[in-house]
Amino acid sequence: MKPEVILHSFSYLTRAAATTVAVSFAGIIFGFAIGALVCAARVSRRPWLRRAGAVYISVFRGVPLLVQLLFIYYFLAEYGLDVPAIVAAVGALALSSAAYQAEILRGALNAVPHGQGEAATALGFSGLDIWRRVLLPQALRISTPPLISEFILLLKASSLVSVVGIAELTRVSMNIASETYRPLEAYLAGGLFYLAINLCLAALGALAERRLGTPSAR
Amino acid sequence: MSVSLFWHYAPSLISGFAVTILCWAVGGALGLALGFAIALIRRLKLAPLNWPIRIFIEIFRGTPFLVQLFLLYSGGPSIGLKLSATAAGVLGLALYSSAYFAEIFRAGFAAVPAGQIEAAVSVGMAPLDTMMRVMLPGALIAAVPAIVNMLIILSKETVVLSIITVPELMYQVQTMAAETFTAFDAIFGMAVFYWLLVEAVSRLGARIEARVTAYLAQQGAPA
Amino acid sequence: MIELAKVGKSFGAHEVLRGVDLSVERSEVVCLIGPSGSGKSTLLRCVNFLEPYDSGAIRIDGRLIGYEDKPDGSRGRMRARTLREMRREIGMVFQHFNLWPHMTALGNVAEPLRRVRGLATREAADRAMAMLTRVGLAAKAEAYPSHLSGGQQQRVAIARALAMQPRLMLFDEPTSALDPELVGEVLEVMKSLAAEGMTMLVVTHEMGFAAHVAGRIAFIDEGRIIDEGPPAHVFHQSPEPRVRQFLQTYHDRNAF
Repeated sequence: MKPEVILHSFSYLTRAAATTVAVSFAGIIFGFAIGALVCAARVSRRPWLRRAGAVYISVFRGVPLLVQLLFIYYFLAEYGLDVPAIVAAVGALALSSAAYQAEILRGALNAVPHGQGEAATALGFSGLDIWRRVLLPQALRISTPPLISEFILLLKASSLVSVVGIAELTRVSMNIASETYRPLEAYLAGGLFYLAINLCLAALGALAERRLGTPSAR
Repeated sequence: MSVSLFWHYAPSLISGFAVTILCWAVGGALGLALGFAIALIRRLKLAPLNWPIRIFIEIFRGTPFLVQLFLLYSGGPSIGLKLSATAAGVLGLALYSSAYFAEIFRAGFAAVPAGQIEAAVSVGMAPLDTMMRVMLPGALIAAVPAIVNMLIILSKETVVLSIITVPELMYQVQTMAAETFTAFDAIFGMAVFYWLLVEAVSRLGARIEARVTAYLAQQGAPA
Repeated sequence: MIELAKVGKSFGAHEVLRGVDLSVERSEVVCLIGPSGSGKSTLLRCVNFLEPYDSGAIRIDGRLIGYEDKPDGSRGRMRARTLREMRREIGMVFQHFNLWPHMTALGNVAEPLRRVRGLATREAADRAMAMLTRVGLAAKAEAYPSHLSGGQQQRVAIARALAMQPRLMLFDEPTSALDPELVGEVLEVMKSLAAEGMTMLVVTHEMGFAAHVAGRIAFIDEGRIIDEGPPAHVFHQSPEPRVRQFLQTYHDRNAF
């Protein structure tokens, strides 16, 4: 066991870690945007929209991420323009995460006590205002801890984009392993970096849980 | 993609599917057993074991499955662990899932209302009997939904095994795709196949959950 | 049969029991009444050491429970096995029934007989069936708790405790979690137990039961028994203002 390997590649790994975080962050943000749309479809009054939302969630939760990633990659290769692999990577992460985020948001909306919307209606609020001032703020607050959990999951899932060549932590660990012929140290290093990032995120999640709590506990 | 071409590859696809099922079943079973053992040991509250267990769970829940696989398969030989790809795959699935199952069982134990234990204590039941006849059944039943969920997640993780060349379904599909230049069709077929499979297994899982928790439908009263 | 002498208990900084003295004779029915937080449930749970008491002594038939007097005069914790043996002779019925949901009614009653009394399966089942008949639930023997009403569940719980043939029974607010119309069936079973001469210590809000079935009533407030005596005395002739004040609200609410 030669720990010097890890030390020599430290800056290399740090840059890769930044890439991992960046890719995951982009994935979660786009995933939120798409997920919000899918969630809106799921709770819509139109049956076909609800169906469409349910199918989206079923597909993107049922198909393994690796398959989704390769599918998008080959899809872009076959029909799309010459886009960098990063597009396929972030796209796959976003589309996949959207399915889970849609369910988180839907759960959060359901968790807002019905009475609050009813009180607002009785007071004469317009539908849009009820959304903006009563339901949405609370739903967002409730959904923050599970969304942070989702970010942690996405960060781990991002290791799969190594297969399309993105220079994130896993790919770089593989490179270090083949360059130094010390796979054990290389992958341990990669693992430690992931752990470090996850511990920070977990702390953030715990902080969010404490600060945001449950709305009825006011 | 022509039908005759598909037929030609059918045997390898079927063998790939068999390997997928095997890895999932064996990995899942080992993971359940190990996770359960860890949860039981944790309940004994043996101080020297606390930290190693917590570290184990943190490592396998805090790092990507792919990295764990590489560690076992490529890094293993450095510490004398020479595993075939499939063996590494199964071991990887087992260790990975065991960390999650350990937490699932822990939650299951916590879900047994204290009152039921008090009833057993008040009637003079020995600790072993209380564990075997009241605590364990209650904990296992409470854990069923989470266990089913995790097994489904595990079935999807098996495709990652293809990256370390385990000859499961994904690997065979990619081999076929490379040899016949039908990457897009092959991956599309794979996606549809997995979607239907997971959908079917999810529904089966929901039925099993319903059966097992049937008589808990309206629990008497909170503790 | 039960003797409590200067029993004290604290949860951290909060003193819940402050020197309680109480005795229950054989075949006596004693009801503990008092406001919420007075410590009545805690006191009951100390009798079978479900909660350990900190000071004083609780004796069952003269035998100290939970602790052992050591030869050098100090006190040590009672051995687990001895405690379990003592608990076999004490039946307890809980506010929330605490039936085991994965066993049928018969299963619930037979389980302690098999595991604690060591009876064979057939014998345990027969005895359990007899107990269920005693509480009027023979027809529900194969039902799971979640399919029984609250009153039925509590009666099964009573059968479970009774089947062990305990020397005395403790009841912790047995009807507080029940719908009003289901309270009666449980009180009937308890009355018949009292008529048969069972020694009972009951924490309850059911003043009617206390008035008609209890031999003695003890009023507990802030960890102390401030009055006790026959129902007539406590309900109508208590010199303690706190007791009169507590009972006044009952008279007001129930006189319609």
